[in-house]
Amino acid sequence: MSEQQTTFDYKHVGGRFLGLVAAALAAFAAIFFGAASNPDQFAFSYLFAFTFFFTICMGGLFWILVHHAVDAEWSVVVRRQMENIASMLLVMAILFIPLVFVAPRLWKWMSVPAGQDILLDEKWPYLTPWFFWLRAAFYFAFFVIASTWLRANSILQDKDGAPRYTVFNRKITFASLPLFAVCLTFSAIDWLMGLDYHWFSTMWGVYIFAGTALSSMCVLVLLITALRGAGYFGNVISMEHYHTMGKLMFAFTVFWAYIGFSQYMLIWYANIPEETVYFLRRNTESWQILSTALVVGHFFVPFLLLLPNPGKRKPAYLCGMAVWILLMHMLDIYVVVLPALHKAGVVVSWMDFACLAAIGCTLAAVFLKRLGDAPLWPLRDPRLPQSIALKN
Amino acid sequence: MKNSAGNPEAPVFGVAAEFQCARDLYHAAEKIRDAGFRRWDVFSPFPIHGMDEAMGMKRSLLGKIVFLGGLTGFLTAVTLEFGPTSFLYPLIVAGKPTNLFTVPAFFPIMFELTILISAFTAVFGMLIMNGLPRLNHALFNWDRFKKVTEDKFFVAIEAGDPKFSERSVRDFLESLGGTNITTIHGD
Repeated sequence: MSEQQTTFDYKHVGGRFLGLVAAALAAFAAIFFGAASNPDQFAFSYLFAFTFFFTICMGGLFWILVHHAVDAEWSVVVRRQMENIASMLLVMAILFIPLVFVAPRLWKWMSVPAGQDILLDEKWPYLTPWFFWLRAAFYFAFFVIASTWLRANSILQDKDGAPRYTVFNRKITFASLPLFAVCLTFSAIDWLMGLDYHWFSTMWGVYIFAGTALSSMCVLVLLITALRGAGYFGNVISMEHYHTMGKLMFAFTVFWAYIGFSQYMLIWYANIPEETVYFLRRNTESWQILSTALVVGHFFVPFLLLLPNPGKRKPAYLCGMAVWILLMHMLDIYVVVLPALHKAGVVVSWMDFACLAAIGCTLAAVFLKRLGDAPLWPLRDPRLPQSIALKN
Repeated sequence: MKNSAGNPEAPVFGVAAEFQCARDLYHAAEKIRDAGFRRWDVFSPFPIHGMDEAMGMKRSLLGKIVFLGGLTGFLTAVTLEFGPTSFLYPLIVAGKPTNLFTVPAFFPIMFELTILISAFTAVFGMLIMNGLPRLNHALFNWDRFKKVTEDKFFVAIEAGDPKFSERSVRDFLESLGGTNITTIHGD
């Protein structure tokens, strides 16, 4: 290939695109019937799948914000792909709609009348349906506006290479960073901590954030490798970029463990019934096995395997780690969501997988559409040459 | 008349040359590396990216030493916590077990000691491996070398190098484009 291909050619996808659409439709049809027969299972399975993909998309937004906020050089070449991942937040906003119909099954506080539970009454101003939905609308409005706007400016820059887009995106970022932190924290509190309205943890937002940043970095590694495999990014992305992404994967593996342990230890040590209820459920019966697997698989295995230097410079090795960490992130979200329904122990339902397939295939199909819309990397970013010449 | 610095009676420390910019220094380093010299160093007012590679330096041993330091800290914490609390004088605090399941309470100390000893090993190991702190260096006998903190770049090939001979090294540095080539004496 003499001329470097800068835009995605759909010959790599071909008929598989229609296959994805068909799979998404089939999976949605299946969970629609599943929802009719077992609405509770559907509600929780769908929330699990939704959260898994939602965290990944939000991670994309997080990495763009970090990129602009610290004026990063290395990440210029991978930024367009982060923007593509973040632009899926629009799809996530639409995919949130099914949860509206099963909300009282998920968030029990919605069906408890006032005056019955003093602990709920104390939280009354926050846990009110109208405020809850207003917040959800606000989160999605912010996520969609921020991700779309940053991506649009980045694409505009491909045409004339004017540095003012970089400067303007930085300004958007400075306004977005605090909002991002607030929206991520409170969406995690509303949708996940709210599954048990008695329980609370002050580290909940940052715990979900740790998995968010980690999982989207893994998706980025897989995405870049797939595109390289198809013949793109030839002299743009080198092993130095893989090394950096591997370091970030390692860093957030440790960060996840640090936050997860801090949350656990404080609750375990203080031993207040209102707080321990979360871990009591997850550390007893068959949930105990999954929680232990999480500690080993989400921290010790990637920690030891990502610690040595050479692996981070081998795309195949790093992709293996990325797939593993994504599976562990899935398990993490599973152990967060499903124990709220199956209190007595693990009950795996076919709908868990069907919901993953439905949302996953939908996102993959829309993502493929997005991939071809714009060049694969910011062609005329002022920092592109420095980014290509990255040295660790 | 050849340039020299320091006490001419004292043994020769090495031969040094001055370069005008980082790029010249970088390319000179590559050529010195390829010529097979071992005991030599470059000096610049700021860190130069990729200089390690240009000088042909291997990965430092320090990382492995720091790992051992971290392991020492970790094992110290494990011993000092489980030893007394689980074996020598089991003491039940807040209804918590005194066996292996009490590890969450001990974990912060294990973590902190691992980090502390690793950090100490890294800092002091780095100082020792660099031969620091030292009071003086033969290169300070050379007045021009003071410019290294401003805008000049230097290379010094030491007399301890097996391939060192004053005359050939002087010619070699000159062929690389070095200026003010000076023989440095110790004192």
